[in-house]
Amino acid sequence: MFDRILLATSATEACDHAARVAFNMAERYKSYLNIFHVLGLPTRAYSQDVIDVKTRERVTADEEYIAWVKEEIRGYYERLLEKTGENYGIEVAVGAPHREILRAARNNDPDLIVMGGSTGHMEDSAYKKTTAGSTFQRVARAAHCPVLVVTRPAASFWGGFSRIVLGTDFSEASDVAFEYALQLARALDCELFLFHAVDISAMAMGKVMAQDDIEENLRVARRRMRSRYVPKMPDFESYTMDAWEGLPYVEITKYAREKQADLIVMAHHARRDVSEKVPMGSTMEQVIVRAACPVLSINRGVKK
Amino acid sequence: MPEGALCNKQPVDTEEQLKALLADKGGQTYYEEMKHLDVDVEMLRQTLGKSLKSRLRTWLSMCARCGMCADSCFFYRINDRDPKQVPAYKIQSTLGEIVRKNGKVDNAFMHMAMETAWAKCTCCNRCAMYCPHGIDVGVMISYLRGLLYQQGFVPWEMKVGAGMHRVYRAQMDVTPEDFVDTFEWMVEEYEEDYPGLNVPVDKDDADILYTVNAREVKHYPEDLAEAAILFNIAGENWTVPSKGWELTSLAMFAGDWEACRLQVESVYDAMERLKPKRMVGTECGHAHRATVVEGPYWAGRSDGLPPVKSIHYVEWVAEALRTGNLKIDPEKRIKEPVTIQDSCNYIRNHGLRDVTREIMSYIAEPGYFIDMTPNGEHNYCCGGGGGFNGIGLYRPQRNKALITKRDQIMQTGASLVIAPCHNCWDAIRDLEEEYQIGIRWSFLKPLLIDMVIVPEHMKPKE
Amino acid sequence: MHAFLTGPMFYISIAVLVIGLLVRVVRYVRGLDWKLDRVAYRAHRKAGIKGAARSIFKWLVPFGTRSWRVQPVMTVVFFVFHIGVLAVPLFLLAHNMFLEEKLGFSFFTLPAPAAEILSWAVLAAALVLVLRRIALPEVRILTTFHDYFILALTAAPFVTGLICRYDPANYDFWLLVHIAAGELLLILIPFTKLSHVVTFFLSRAQIGMDFGIKRGGMKGKGMAW
Repeated sequence: MFDRILLATSATEACDHAARVAFNMAERYKSYLNIFHVLGLPTRAYSQDVIDVKTRERVTADEEYIAWVKEEIRGYYERLLEKTGENYGIEVAVGAPHREILRAARNNDPDLIVMGGSTGHMEDSAYKKTTAGSTFQRVARAAHCPVLVVTRPAASFWGGFSRIVLGTDFSEASDVAFEYALQLARALDCELFLFHAVDISAMAMGKVMAQDDIEENLRVARRRMRSRYVPKMPDFESYTMDAWEGLPYVEITKYAREKQADLIVMAHHARRDVSEKVPMGSTMEQVIVRAACPVLSINRGVKK
Repeated sequence: MPEGALCNKQPVDTEEQLKALLADKGGQTYYEEMKHLDVDVEMLRQTLGKSLKSRLRTWLSMCARCGMCADSCFFYRINDRDPKQVPAYKIQSTLGEIVRKNGKVDNAFMHMAMETAWAKCTCCNRCAMYCPHGIDVGVMISYLRGLLYQQGFVPWEMKVGAGMHRVYRAQMDVTPEDFVDTFEWMVEEYEEDYPGLNVPVDKDDADILYTVNAREVKHYPEDLAEAAILFNIAGENWTVPSKGWELTSLAMFAGDWEACRLQVESVYDAMERLKPKRMVGTECGHAHRATVVEGPYWAGRSDGLPPVKSIHYVEWVAEALRTGNLKIDPEKRIKEPVTIQDSCNYIRNHGLRDVTREIMSYIAEPGYFIDMTPNGEHNYCCGGGGGFNGIGLYRPQRNKALITKRDQIMQTGASLVIAPCHNCWDAIRDLEEEYQIGIRWSFLKPLLIDMVIVPEHMKPKE
Repeated sequence: MHAFLTGPMFYISIAVLVIGLLVRVVRYVRGLDWKLDRVAYRAHRKAGIKGAARSIFKWLVPFGTRSWRVQPVMTVVFFVFHIGVLAVPLFLLAHNMFLEEKLGFSFFTLPAPAAEILSWAVLAAALVLVLRRIALPEVRILTTFHDYFILALTAAPFVTGLICRYDPANYDFWLLVHIAAGELLLILIPFTKLSHVVTFFLSRAQIGMDFGIKRGGMKGKGMAW
């Protein structure tokens, strides 16, 4: 399942939780871990000068500097590297982070990309403003493999996966996410929790819903889940299905907590980057910053 | 030491030389060597004799020293009206002196001339519009750059850039394979969203041959995807050449006329090979200037025109909006104060002012487009043109030069600046980073993608 | 002396002026090179002529270009100076009588008071131009001896002419000086920056063709000078 993992990291605290997850997974599933770091876009046209992510100084990203950065990364993850043994590689690239991560993913064909939260620095840099959306959004939208994002310390884990929550909205993308979650649950012998949240906010429904309406909606959702997913897992039994009402991201987060999930799988289906226009971000973005476990994002293009 | 290992009079012609030059961090050794570089007076004289003819000679000698060009120059205005920043002074104290001394100038003089040529002029040609005699100091500075390049007194990045064109026929180390592969990658990435999206490579007799800026391939491949999507939505019969796709010319900034010729001929070869009806270039100002405006002369084309009709991206967009091939969803028009940056290289120097205004009339809700003052042909340079953006040695001067554009933008009150030119886009990005005035900036393509009505057959079925 | 200056010397100065300027024109035009200048003069003659004509015409009209409009004081001084410098010598009654006698033709004649006012205006404008050269740092740094010299050369016939007008006692002497100054001016025009009496048109035509043919003239509505 996880022969090759690409860890996209800034090699700073912001990515520590993601790194821990990646290393633990690599250890447990005997994966090859590709530690990937992007130095950022050249600060001026046709030059090699970039802003160092850590020191925020302007540096020349030549071979010598890149070799030094690799050494720094090796040093930063010294203790974690015991987990992988020799089964790892470090790569450093220059460019727009999301673009270079996608390029590396295209070249290395990993089974999973692991990313941390924002580096903080990049938030206020000018690059971000022009390229709408976070690095995660852009990678998750286009990657041809699942993207695992870990932003909170509580979201990092020590063991393997055993309880997987799939949040579905019945979209085609959610079907892909379901297929993947099922495959994962089978391969790693996990329990699978299929979950749908009925959005009852007036904003989504256009009115305040009557309780009868809500309950009808929940019934429909359960029916849909059953008819949509059960036929697809004939020989798989350890699954549960639920539908709750509320604000979807809150309900998914609560549900995952209650079920002591160690992974949430969701579909990413923003066609283009929407984060700029939707101030609160998508349900996915909200779950990512709130969940107590890693969140796995899958888009329609993920290969089966 | 007359000639350095890195800083010398030889252009960079091989990959090894290029790598050696690049390995020199920011050109430290290069500039150190330049301090000892000799001036080849004989070569300088010969070049002057061959290429300094009536137009330039007359300009130099007839200058009435009236100073009417002073205020036209944004360098003069932002540098506390320093008289040494008057265009006439800048050219008389450099090229004028070289001619008067018949080439007998020394190393220190050449250093001064280099700084003048690359850090005190962006070749925006604005002063030409303010001189009663019609003297174009920008043209003369460009000529001076050629002399300096030939003598080896050229900023490190310019030498690298010209070398890139010589070695790769692109401003960066992007090969034809990289180019085609990146386009294919982008199709893979976007075909889910736009079914039927494709990029025809090397298709004969297409209506449009599309050419780009290597930076898009290297760092902003989304731009390629966006171009492909828009051509597909507009139903164009288009293609990209696997060779000769690079529209830009850092060699023009460097004053390496031989490299300019090599570069532009690679594009013209593609035109002659694939026989498209016309060429459309990406949103880049200097690239258009190099390939469409100046290029025919480097290639020795006596009609002064490229082999096929060649237009700038803004011309294509205006046409597509006019004919309805691209339709804007009225709901999605820009509804925030927006302004547009007039790139010197195709507004002042290629007459496309009304074209960009026409585009604005389609994409901005009436009342939201605010022009800068002055604008059109009289607009100021972004502050980073002519290679200025890329030269590390002159970064402080460049950052100061951005003030003109910053103030012009702030005056409009716009929160969005449309910059259909790579150099301008970079400069505006940098001015936001440097001065944080709270603006966003964009090429046209991403804005259009968000606004166009996608025809049914290109919508994902979901 | 008078006979010499108004006789052979007059013809010589006119000849030097005309031949000198002709040589200037021929050399300039012959030195144009479509490849070096990067302007396809021949291939797009029509666009070239249109661009050249616009480029010259716009600049001959006071406030006809943005450059003239943004520097109004300079523009007024400039046009007063140039109109006076051209109109007074050509259209003064005395000059016309002289021309009629020597060359057999004459121009339209300015009323005497107008000529007088114009002459004073020329000198006043010349003074402003000198003061401007001294006062403004951006002009001072550019100014060379040559610039003062040609201003003096141009002003000299006006100064001496006006003295003739106001000092009848020494009229004969000042007239000689006036004629000499005028002839010196005519002779030196082709050899100094005063050659701009023709190179202005050449240079303006050339940049007009540049913008008219290559830099957008065939695209937009013509350069917005």
